Amino acid sequence: MKLIRLLGAAMAGAATLVLPRRRPGRLRLDRGRAALRLAARGGVRYAASTPRLFTAAGEQRQQLREDLALQTAEDVAGTLGAMKGVMMKIGQMASYVDDGLSPAVRHTLARLQDSVPPMSPRLAAAVVEEELGAPPERAFARWDPRPIAAASIGQVHRAVTLDGRAVAVKVQYPGIAETIAADLRNVALLRRLLRIAAPAQDVDALLSELRDRVGEELDYRREAASQRLLAACYDGHPTIHIPQVIGELSTRRVLTSELSGGVRFAELASWPQHERDLAAETIYRFVFRSLYEVRAFNGDPHPGNYLFHRGGRVTFLDFGLVKHFTPAELQPLMDMARTICVEHDPEAFRASLEDAGFLRPGAPLATQEVVEHLAVFYDTIREPGPLTITSDYASAVVRRFFDLRCPVAGYISVPRSYVILQRINLGLFAILGELSATADWRAISEEIWPFVRGPAATPMGEAEAAWRARRPARGRDTWPWAPTAG
Amino acid sequence: MTESGAAVPAHKELVSLTDTTVTTHLYTSATGLIERSAAAFAAGVPEGADDDGFFGPASVTWRMSADLAAPVAGLRSLLVQALHPLAMAGVDQHSGWRRDPVGRLAATMAYLTTITFADRTAALRAAARVRRIHDHVRGTDTVTGRSYAAGDPALLLWVHGMLVDSVLAAGSLVGTALSAADSNRYVAEMVTAAELTGVPRPLVPSSVPELDLYIASVRPTLRCTPAAAESMTYLLDPPGLDEDTAEIWRDVRDAAIAALPRWARHMYGYGTPPALTPGRRTEIRQSLGVLDAIFLSQPDVLEARQRITVRMRAARPA
Repeated sequence: MKLIRLLGAAMAGAATLVLPRRRPGRLRLDRGRAALRLAARGGVRYAASTPRLFTAAGEQRQQLREDLALQTAEDVAGTLGAMKGVMMKIGQMASYVDDGLSPAVRHTLARLQDSVPPMSPRLAAAVVEEELGAPPERAFARWDPRPIAAASIGQVHRAVTLDGRAVAVKVQYPGIAETIAADLRNVALLRRLLRIAAPAQDVDALLSELRDRVGEELDYRREAASQRLLAACYDGHPTIHIPQVIGELSTRRVLTSELSGGVRFAELASWPQHERDLAAETIYRFVFRSLYEVRAFNGDPHPGNYLFHRGGRVTFLDFGLVKHFTPAELQPLMDMARTICVEHDPEAFRASLEDAGFLRPGAPLATQEVVEHLAVFYDTIREPGPLTITSDYASAVVRRFFDLRCPVAGYISVPRSYVILQRINLGLFAILGELSATADWRAISEEIWPFVRGPAATPMGEAEAAWRARRPARGRDTWPWAPTAG
Repeated sequence: MTESGAAVPAHKELVSLTDTTVTTHLYTSATGLIERSAAAFAAGVPEGADDDGFFGPASVTWRMSADLAAPVAGLRSLLVQALHPLAMAGVDQHSGWRRDPVGRLAATMAYLTTITFADRTAALRAAARVRRIHDHVRGTDTVTGRSYAAGDPALLLWVHGMLVDSVLAAGSLVGTALSAADSNRYVAEMVTAAELTGVPRPLVPSSVPELDLYIASVRPTLRCTPAAAESMTYLLDPPGLDEDTAEIWRDVRDAAIAALPRWARHMYGYGTPPALTPGRRTEIRQSLGVLDAIFLSQPDVLEARQRITVRMRAARPA
């Protein structure tokens, strides 16, 4: 970003007349990128400690937050407009898909995130009134004007509905949807930003994924549909809990869901290992059951999106980034797992990689090389038996994924529809690694794999099987509100 | 507002445009620019001030200081300031730019930030220092043969007037467009800035019409000297930019040129650009937003801005 530094000259020199006569050197990004990528290889830390709660940072900070609160739509535009909101989303996305996110870029994005204060109580109330037709104190029996958490383009308030249900109300910043929609149309600039943020990635694939996903986040009704679908699919599940959407209090810019208790990720870390293992098992089951059976994948595996209860029960929050797959998109993923883990057929595995578009067909590589390179992603599920997922393993997965020096890497790409899937490997394993979670992941996978349908592998598996036996079997497409894939 | 010491004849500093040693040197120097400018900005915003300074949190000056269009205003003001042969000569012959461009720009950033946001005592101290430096900057312009002194109110006024005019022009084009009343208020507020650098108050335009009249009165003395043309060509189209950054640069440059008065474009030999479409304006603002994010991420800048914002919010009518 040398240019940006040069531009500082224009900024700084507003009142001066100091002009260079000389040519600058070639201002190249590449060299810096390479250095930063090398630095980043040292290890990937999952941003588990990123504070999402305003209240988490102490009284003084809270006071500052209130003093800085966004009071008008203009304040919102100044803070999140002109690409800044989109840059934050790019950062969120890139942090999951690329270890090449340089410390400088990472820092810029973190600061950008810090620069967003909450809405003032009055501004948030105005949005609620516009959306629900009544100010919050009339639309709800009780309304807490102080937000409890930041959401991606809004904030969350606690409230009690007129019929007495405790709810979390997500309120979108006013005017931001229009701004972000306009920013998403500046494809040329987005490509440049993505090239800088995630140089190792296929920019076109990232770009279309970014536009689709962020575009969807602008309308909370889409998120509500995903949340309803998953809540219905897991209704009554012994450990997976999805808060119910309160439809009559949800609109494009307001999303009201049942309020859930539970502790945050940071507190879970202090629980006994047995509890952490159970929580990890629930997360694992949720991710892969959703993928294989609901054909939906929550693409935001942020630790802030979970609330933990004793006995392995986990509440899943925030469905703004749910990706819905078509059966055709899902099939190659199943084929890959089946061929490498169950059939142990390297050639068939390679063929399924090619079918999915991960591996260029006819690449001049020995199949053995391909398998060795990619099998790391299946290490946890190739053999039965209890296995502990460590942070080191999680980092190894990430490093392997982004190992551009390996000869195989040149022939691998991530097709558009699977960009978000990388977060399974990166985000999920980062979380499981953080928990040092132990389980027989292979046996659990066999339970879930549609091409195996193995017996219950754990007590949680038995409870899940009993739950499944109690409810009518039906696929996601029978739910009338199921969002379309794509 | 040149502030470097020793007077070195211009020809001794002239170097070949292809001189690689110099090229490397400039490249290296320029890399610290945003960091040092940002540090100067952050340090210039006081943590606790004895008073609200010469402008105050309710002023238009404070509002415009954080405008997204600031880089465009900066580039545009350099473009018009350079057209005054004596001002250009002063910089060309005395400025520390060649030896330490980053430090030179950061010093200006620090000065502007201080007189804007610091209390009166600190602002007066900074201004006195700049006036002392200006006292040593004297010479003869090789193009017009006229002698100059940096402390000459006529030169200071030109530099001042072009800054004020550029903030308004850039704001209305790609940033915050002020109402006619607020534009006049801004020009009137900034009279104090000119006075601080040593221009007698009665000489300083205090409304937009006065500023326009003043600019018209100076125009006959303006010319695009070789030094101005060369420097601006460089600044508008820095060679060797990689593709990504060159594109973003182009947006700032396009906006700065579009914001120029027609006569200034003429003197530089630029054609009249087509009027900015709403779509193009949005694109430019998006590029400026990216730049602002980079600036914001420098150490202490966010906190400095928050200090300003808190004071401005407190001064905002309920």
